[in-house]
Amino acid sequence: MGRPDLTRRNLLAAAGGLAVAGSFGLAAAGGGASALASGAGTRVRYWNLFSGGDGINMIRMLDAFRKANPGIDVKDSTLRWGNPYYTKLAMTASGSRAPELGVMHLGRLAGFAPQRLLDPFDIELLAKYGVKEADFNPALWKRAVVDGKLYALPLDIHPQLNFYRKDVCKQAGLLGDDGRLVPIGSVDEWFAALKSARKAVRKGLQAVGIHAFDQNFSWWFFLSFYAQAGGSYYNADLTEVTFDEDKAVEVLEFLRRHVTDGYSIAGVPDVEHFMNGGAFVWEGCWSVPVYSGPKIDYGAAPLPAVFGKPATQAESHAFVLPHQSGRGGASNAAAHQLAAYVVQHAVDWAAGGHIPAYLPTLDDPAYQKLEPQSEYASAMDNMALEPEAWFAGSSGTLSQRIGPVIVSSNLGSAKPDQAARRMRRVLEQLLDMKNPMGGDAS
Amino acid sequence: MTSAEMSPAATPSVRMTTVGTPAAPRAIRPVAATAEASTRARLGRAFQHGGWFVAPFLLLYALFVLTPLARGLWLSFTDANITGEDASFVGFDNYTEALKDPLVWESLGHSAYFTLLVVPCIVVLALLLALLAHHIEHAKWLWRLCFFAPFLLPSAVVGNMWRWMFNPDTGLMDHVFGMESAWLTQKSTAMTAVVVATLWWTVGFSFLLYLAALQNIPRHLYEAAALDGAGPWGRLVHITLPLLRSITGLVVALQILASLQVFDQVVVMYEFGPGPEESTRTMVQYTLEQGFTSYRVGYASAISILFFVIIAAFALARMWLLRKREEGVR
Repeated sequence: MGRPDLTRRNLLAAAGGLAVAGSFGLAAAGGGASALASGAGTRVRYWNLFSGGDGINMIRMLDAFRKANPGIDVKDSTLRWGNPYYTKLAMTASGSRAPELGVMHLGRLAGFAPQRLLDPFDIELLAKYGVKEADFNPALWKRAVVDGKLYALPLDIHPQLNFYRKDVCKQAGLLGDDGRLVPIGSVDEWFAALKSARKAVRKGLQAVGIHAFDQNFSWWFFLSFYAQAGGSYYNADLTEVTFDEDKAVEVLEFLRRHVTDGYSIAGVPDVEHFMNGGAFVWEGCWSVPVYSGPKIDYGAAPLPAVFGKPATQAESHAFVLPHQSGRGGASNAAAHQLAAYVVQHAVDWAAGGHIPAYLPTLDDPAYQKLEPQSEYASAMDNMALEPEAWFAGSSGTLSQRIGPVIVSSNLGSAKPDQAARRMRRVLEQLLDMKNPMGGDAS
Repeated sequence: MTSAEMSPAATPSVRMTTVGTPAAPRAIRPVAATAEASTRARLGRAFQHGGWFVAPFLLLYALFVLTPLARGLWLSFTDANITGEDASFVGFDNYTEALKDPLVWESLGHSAYFTLLVVPCIVVLALLLALLAHHIEHAKWLWRLCFFAPFLLPSAVVGNMWRWMFNPDTGLMDHVFGMESAWLTQKSTAMTAVVVATLWWTVGFSFLLYLAALQNIPRHLYEAAALDGAGPWGRLVHITLPLLRSITGLVVALQILASLQVFDQVVVMYEFGPGPEESTRTMVQYTLEQGFTSYRVGYASAISILFFVIIAAFALARMWLLRKREEGVR
């Protein structure tokens, strides 16, 4: 009976082996099938991080592109915004399985481009599809250039804004003849405005929402006001911390005062308070669709320039070419074409609140009709940006470390001068940290 | 085949098997007495006694535990980034950096603090629930189910559920129980909130261990004690608790090991942030941040190896204590 026993085992082993081999075979066949399924000649795989309203707008633009270019098969994948997205993008670019086109926040470029995770754009190819340097804000374009090469094609900027309810502000006498908020130029003016706004706000609602608890927003607002005060973080070649603690203390005290003077109630949902009749809320421009839906009479301006020169934090969505070892040919050209197309047809994109990076769009009557978008288009010229270090950028290490420090000052558990010292320490620690992708901190 | 070995006086058909395999280890041992052969024989015997049944596990264990562990150890001596390219050997640089990194110590402190809060609570609560469920006469199954059911939920569900419950505007805690506290936004309560959620979630497991141990205590001990005039309290203190001592040791050990590795419910409750004023960033989370936000895989490996050593030390200490106690009993 020994032999039959053996045979049965062999049979089982063979069956198991077949099953395993079969599954591999199927997987391989599946990959091949999806590549061949579409009849279109050139395939552009496109990774983005747009969900919600942005996602719908993006898909609408992609569909328009597909209709206009039936020879190009656009395969778009939407991934969740945040760290995991960047992890995937980095890994796919290093594992030579990168998509032809991707989207990134411009602030993350310093951690990606010089480390061969991205390929540069072909300027001539872009020009062929109608996009050139002169069509962009110089500061924005410069940020997309590393070592003389263009590594990102900006699609938009998304600034932080001061949303205000026209009904409440009118009652408080804060609106000008044009029905827009009268510009505010100093800390005192701002708090005077808040004081009169509070009288017009129903009891129980806060006058202004500043997301005092949120480490991301707190960092973005700090960036804005610290830039207004003229502060910097590092010297140009990123070897030294140039953080100005005095200016930082001023900004932190300003933020904290919203809470101590009772204009802002820490911990309440800021968006709901605004919708229910709060006078102001500081939010990203992506909240425009949120407030436009329920037909609130509101406007949106860049954050008030209380420390002098206007500046408001802005990040930028940009197209990038994730590194492919054999990049080139028709698929690469198609990736350029798609990016150029979307950048030039961004009026739809502006409905999501973003300011299109392609300047001709701003002169488009269709864009100028958009309210409140046209009111804050000037934010493009006054961007407050994160330092250009490998650890900076949307959901990067810098914001992760420094945001909580600002929050602790907002909530009063750290005095502003303590918090400023801690911020400096964070900036120093990060500068000491070795860039994992090689090279120096830039 | 086992039946043939166990009963020499087997049926003829079975005996044929023995005849068919003359190279049985027992037969050759006196002939070839070299060390190598005896090792092989021993190995062969080991495999006969279930080795093949364990083999799939061993294979997976080697593939998914030993290999990553060895690779992690290697990476911890390099400056590898997330792409896996251009890693070079840096010796103990990562370790010296980790020992000087204040966030390593802070996050280790948070994990330890969490452990310190959770373990005693779990032991007491699990014991109380087990006593309750053990003594309730009616609908025993319902109580057991109620106490154990949360343990079956995935951590993401638990984390989100409690995040909603702790919401200061609409959450159960404030809205229904009237506790006016911003649980998830204050440093002082941030970790407690995680502890409460974790207790609710995991107490069922220890509860079950205690319940089983309770059911193992012979009834006659209680009867004898009752005859001697011991009241319910006396029986609890002098019979139940001493007889539960070894299971308590097990619960404590398991909970320490599990709690030091706390991660998922915390990151879900604080949305992958470090918590209010960075008060809930755990060791595992910091490892994740270094590896997957800063892309410093080499450094993250070094931290996790350090952490592994700490946890392993706890496990070994527990084994050592147990052995000492057993020897003492003997």
